[in-house]
Amino acid sequence: MWQVVGHEKAVGLLQRSLKGEKLSHAYLFVGPRHVGKMTLAINLAQALNCTGEEKPCGGCPQCLRIAARKHADVHVVELDGRTEIGIDQIREMQHFASLKPFEGRHRVFIIDRAERLSHEASNCLLKTLEEPPQNVKLVLLAANERLLLPTVLSRCQRLELRPLPIAMVEEALIHRWRVVPERARILARLSSGCLGWAVSATEDEQLLHHRNERLASLIRLASGGMDERFAYAAQLANQFSQDRESVNGVLSLWLVWWHDLMLVKGGSGDFTANVDQEETLLSEAKRYSLTQIRGFMQSLRQAMAQLEQNANPRLVLEVLMFSIPKGKEG
Amino acid sequence: MKLSCDQEKLSKGLGIVGRAVATRTTLPITNNVLLATEQSRLKLAATNLEIAISYWLGAKVEEEGAITIPARLLTDFINALPNERIDISLSPRTRTLELKCARFEGRINGVEAEEFPPIPTIGDGVATKIEPEALRLAIAQVAFAAATEETRPVLTGVKAEFDGDTLTLAAADGFRLAVHQAPLATPVAERTEVIIPARALSELGRLLTEQEEPVEITINPQRSQVLFRLKDVEMVSQLIQGAFPNYNQLIPQSYSTRAEMSLSDLAKAARTASIFAREGSAIVRLQIMPGEETAPGRVVLSARAEEVGDNVGEIDALVEGEESKIAFNSKYLSDVLAVLRQDRVALETTSPSSPGVIRPVGAENYIHVVMPMFVQW
Repeated sequence: MWQVVGHEKAVGLLQRSLKGEKLSHAYLFVGPRHVGKMTLAINLAQALNCTGEEKPCGGCPQCLRIAARKHADVHVVELDGRTEIGIDQIREMQHFASLKPFEGRHRVFIIDRAERLSHEASNCLLKTLEEPPQNVKLVLLAANERLLLPTVLSRCQRLELRPLPIAMVEEALIHRWRVVPERARILARLSSGCLGWAVSATEDEQLLHHRNERLASLIRLASGGMDERFAYAAQLANQFSQDRESVNGVLSLWLVWWHDLMLVKGGSGDFTANVDQEETLLSEAKRYSLTQIRGFMQSLRQAMAQLEQNANPRLVLEVLMFSIPKGKEG
Repeated sequence: MKLSCDQEKLSKGLGIVGRAVATRTTLPITNNVLLATEQSRLKLAATNLEIAISYWLGAKVEEEGAITIPARLLTDFINALPNERIDISLSPRTRTLELKCARFEGRINGVEAEEFPPIPTIGDGVATKIEPEALRLAIAQVAFAAATEETRPVLTGVKAEFDGDTLTLAAADGFRLAVHQAPLATPVAERTEVIIPARALSELGRLLTEQEEPVEITINPQRSQVLFRLKDVEMVSQLIQGAFPNYNQLIPQSYSTRAEMSLSDLAKAARTASIFAREGSAIVRLQIMPGEETAPGRVVLSARAEEVGDNVGEIDALVEGEESKIAFNSKYLSDVLAVLRQDRVALETTSPSSPGVIRPVGAENYIHVVMPMFVQW
């Protein structure tokens, strides 16, 4: 049983390749964060080492050890609190790749957030990626494949994992994770199809709480004065120098909010992500015209792109604050 | 788990298995050592997923059980205790190991034994036995020649060929090659070739110093692991995958000059030359001069460091063939001379640009090939 929810196309392809023993030596799973890339990679590692009938069975000692991340032959190379995956981590991986499997049949190396591979690490990886030793499979996981070296990209078989249908996330939450339907509905919508996020939100109350707090301050900003906005921009710019990721999260959150406003305005309120904020959405939507909403969404996207291109964060964010449309009072 | 054992024995055992405890690791539990009761013995085991070492020591077992404990902490604590009886008990609920020795006691939190990677056991497969001294010599004369860099993983290993009643070990790093043939105590059923990590063999060499009975060697049917069984100790090593280069092609079949000399003379001259060589480009030059009617043959070793100085040393030699010159990296020359046991050694050369061969005189089972360095003479 493949544990991963959805992604039938990717699972189907892997299954057929497994049966025909035509697996590629290196895969690249591309998809947004929390969409299920790691789960699928772990499943693939299980299928390769499973001793049960229906591979991956999920119940044999091999499958269990892999699921618990205790298997000696399944290595996850990850950031580990650093800003990039260094060449030393790749060298260590290559050392283990040269040894025959310890307890299973295949060694599987999963490189999480492969877009964070340092330049040297990527180049060091090329040889293994092109021609790994026997019984060695590599799986690279990336949210943004444009940041990978073309030489890395061209050596992997690419599988794209798209966000899941909201209904599927909701159903999985209810049936597999035993979440109460009301809560599952909200989480599924908020997850924008990334089940992993919804699952971590069920386990961590704080996650949802933080999100709502952030959103509230963003909504306040739209009706606040320039002083308030600039103060917020400065704070965000400060945060950016320490943790890019979280600022990106804030902006995405904002983008989803404005997208919801657009949906409500356009009469498609049933599809909004922020289902728990229905009233605020309705009243806010009344304040803006469709053109204004669309314009600001564009500004948001532009700001995100500029931040990625290393523009001065404070300037970018201040410009963004200027472009918040002026809503009708009331 | 409840048992008592001797502090000295436990300390020794932890020292032995400690060599296999992981230092850098993707699997944190491999920083732990496994303690498990086995009938009337205590088994200690550790693995870094490349080698695994198990050690058994006598203990008075009152209650069976198993646990893993951070290796460093346990070893340091046990080593600090007085040489007396240690009472060990495990509280299964909290997974805390309690140790009592004389007037000291300690409690260490452990992790369940089930989480530990399975220490490989090898039942069937290709099996043989070898005298510990023969194996130790073979490892000492070969393992140092393996590559330390991982650019070509197979070269970080030692090729082991089991054929009939002979074990051939070979290692090369691109600049030198060492081949040693050792007799097996019992012949193997089928010819088997594997590549064993040089690091694993060096660890084995260390363990062999106290061994007197023959060592059992077993290679599992999947050819992925090799087991060395010693008295009270078992070491399992993962094997390296890949094809080892055909090294027989690298051994020169003939020579034009052969110089035979005393090993200690040559080692001493090489050591002297290395003092200057290490200041410069690490080159030792050897000039082999045949004897004349009144004078014996000579080998002249010289080294030079630009703007620092130079030295020349001369030793007597029985020279066969024409005069010749060759230059070696001083480290490669000293390394091989350090592992030879015979009184006399022979150096065979063909030209300054072809490999030199070093053989112990009177022992046919070892050959060492060193690539020369290109220098202006």
